[in-house]
Amino acid sequence: MSVQSSPVGTAASATTPKKGFSLSTLATNQLTILLLVFIALFFYFGSQNVRFFRTGEISSLVVDFSGLVLLAIAETFVIVSGGIDLSVGSTVAIAGVLGAEVMNHYQGHIGQVPLLLLGTLICALVGLLVGAINAFLITVVNMVPFVATLITLSAGAGYALVVSGGGDVGDNQAAIIWSSTGWWIFTWLSLLVLAVAVITCVILHFTRYGRYTFAIGSNDFAARAAGINIKRHIASIYVLSGLLSGLVGMFWFIRIGSGAPTTGDTANLEAIACVVIGGVSLTGGTGSVLGTLLGCAILTIVTDGLVFINVPPTWNQVVVGAIIAIAAGLQAFRGARSRR
Amino acid sequence: MSNAPLLELRNISKSYGSVQALTDVSFKAHAGEVIGLVGDNGAGKSTLIKVISGVHAPDSGELLVNGEARHWKSPHDSMEAGIETLYQDSGLAPHLTIGANIFLGRELLRRGPLGKLGFLDQRRMERQALEELDKVGISVPAGRKTVSDLSGGQRQAVAIGRAVMWAKNVIILDEPTNHLGARQSQEVLNVIRAAREQGLCVLFISHTLPHVLEVCDRIVVLRLGSIVRDDPTSTYTVESLLGTITGLTK
Repeated sequence: MSVQSSPVGTAASATTPKKGFSLSTLATNQLTILLLVFIALFFYFGSQNVRFFRTGEISSLVVDFSGLVLLAIAETFVIVSGGIDLSVGSTVAIAGVLGAEVMNHYQGHIGQVPLLLLGTLICALVGLLVGAINAFLITVVNMVPFVATLITLSAGAGYALVVSGGGDVGDNQAAIIWSSTGWWIFTWLSLLVLAVAVITCVILHFTRYGRYTFAIGSNDFAARAAGINIKRHIASIYVLSGLLSGLVGMFWFIRIGSGAPTTGDTANLEAIACVVIGGVSLTGGTGSVLGTLLGCAILTIVTDGLVFINVPPTWNQVVVGAIIAIAAGLQAFRGARSRR
Repeated sequence: MSNAPLLELRNISKSYGSVQALTDVSFKAHAGEVIGLVGDNGAGKSTLIKVISGVHAPDSGELLVNGEARHWKSPHDSMEAGIETLYQDSGLAPHLTIGANIFLGRELLRRGPLGKLGFLDQRRMERQALEELDKVGISVPAGRKTVSDLSGGQRQAVAIGRAVMWAKNVIILDEPTNHLGARQSQEVLNVIRAAREQGLCVLFISHTLPHVLEVCDRIVVLRLGSIVRDDPTSTYTVESLLGTITGLTK
């Protein structure tokens, strides 16, 4: 959709000579670099092992990527606003386990589709609840986000263990089978995740909601002085983060056919890693969903690709650490240069 | 209503814990008047403007706009009443573009259904931002530049432009000439004069006394949270003003 009136174009071209360009090229540069890194990695792993290029392998890459995306996007909103959410991983676990308990109860009594929809609803509600608790602790009790979400991280992970008794809850083979159906390299589940990703991308970059998120992360005093209700906005961001995390709980239930209390164990750090690789500054005010998606893609391809070049999976965490170090190092370097 | 002052404070007091920041502050400000607000560090200038702009609520006292008693629950309320504030050094979001900053909290939405969903009309904001800044005599590079890419003087210009552009009654400028060179300072003073021509009331807070003496119609001196002198500018000299601020002369 473009604006019709012609002065827009002329004014923009008249008032945005080279200076306006340097900024947009800088931003695109970063995304271009990430994309090039991703492509290079893709062909590197493929050149080491041709099986890497098979449709089945690429499809499984997409699935692993989809498992990360929503958590990383949730974290992007939070980090852009200047906060941090450590509880996304444990929210995945608690939502998945509680959703599985409810579905377990109705399995066999209602059809598969209503059952999964019910599970999705339960997971969403659990996620909303955890997000609301975070929002309450941060905006009403005035805790810093790190501490508030550390509380829900610990309590959520613990409660998931209590409810599940430490083991997996439920056994839904039909869900597993459905999870591998789809179109070309995409499973239906991945397509759903990507659809949500597109919606959140539009919200962050093209709507007033997204604009306020950036403004608060950039300078919360200025945002407040401009009349923005920053407490309400921050609260809504944590609720959104909880909702997305809850939905990821359902994603994992469908993939493994049960709710496991351990699913979210490493998810927090992976989500934050994707965001950092994607170029979002942990001090708030900058970032993009597209960058985060590329961060997820890079993290996924490296951890999956290592297997193809015969690196034992035990090295995964070390390699992830190295990638974060490179990404954060580049960011610090850029930051130091732009501040001069 | 026309002879009621645009802004009136009656016996405003405010304390932070055991620190008494303002004690019984009263003054009137009329349309088309530029009032200098001066005082040493800790005299209560910042607290006073935060009370007027709704960042802090006073402990006691009344605030009247056009003769009507008003209570601000948030800065949003004072903005609605036509009071704009330029805060010292912290009024802009550095990661956002000039256009985004000018329209922060007042975003223009797209026409049609997308606008109802909260979609921003980015280009219209950037274009209007430049036009409006131009009207108040401020020229900046492209509206889509981020504020962090601007020089200190340009940032200040954008911040002042935003305040002047949106103010309908009162405009509060906290140290607007800070960090600015001589020529840029003169431009700021010209913007203040232009605002007066438009019938706005300007509260000008500054440590640079020659600027205050040059542009203000009246100067209010605060010391330790109270107003110690409130007289027309012609009755002050740099020396007498300095003496009043420091409390060395009566």
